Amino acid sequence: MSQRGFRTAKRRYHYLFWPLMGVYTVLVFATSFLVDTNTAPTWLKITSALAVTLPLFGVLYAMRRQTEETDEYTRMRQLQAMRDGGLITAACAFLVGFLQIFEVLDFISVFWFGPLFFISYGLSFCTQNFGKVV
Amino acid sequence: MKNILKILRTEKGWSQAALAEKLDVSRQSINAIETGKYDPSLPLAFAIARLFGRPIEEIFDDEVELASAAE
Repeated sequence: MSQRGFRTAKRRYHYLFWPLMGVYTVLVFATSFLVDTNTAPTWLKITSALAVTLPLFGVLYAMRRQTEETDEYTRMRQLQAMRDGGLITAACAFLVGFLQIFEVLDFISVFWFGPLFFISYGLSFCTQNFGKVV
Repeated sequence: MKNILKILRTEKGWSQAALAEKLDVSRQSINAIETGKYDPSLPLAFAIARLFGRPIEEIFDDEVELASAAE
């Protein structure tokens, strides 16, 4: 583990996060406008999916690196939030999976588990100190 | 674990943010330590002790030890 301190870790995270999110946003719009899923060849669909996903891999790497480099208390809070986000996402994946097995639900895109993780992660991080003056 | 970090900090006239900057931790870390919600690791406790020029045991009090000593 290479701890660099709170400020350096935060700065390094933002230097990676924002450009990647910019690239991601551009690619999402570009692929959604330029790639017609009905007529595009499979290689183009795969390439588009990979192109849009790669910046997200970068964001996940930035999150991982920040948890390694930041100060110990922030790291603890982040890991607690990631734990909650991961567990909520896993619980929802099981629930949706069994609802589909029992033919209650027809189809829910796996895509939505990604945003679910980030939303539950964010909510957990923000609500850790509810009612506390921190 | 109880500590006198807040007293030492206010003696110096530093805000939580200023102390956090000196230790390169978040302001929330300082608040959590001062309010006893979080016990710092040994490296951070040593850094705090060095910053205030006092031994660790003078800043941090082990309540368990104090309770057993009282018995």
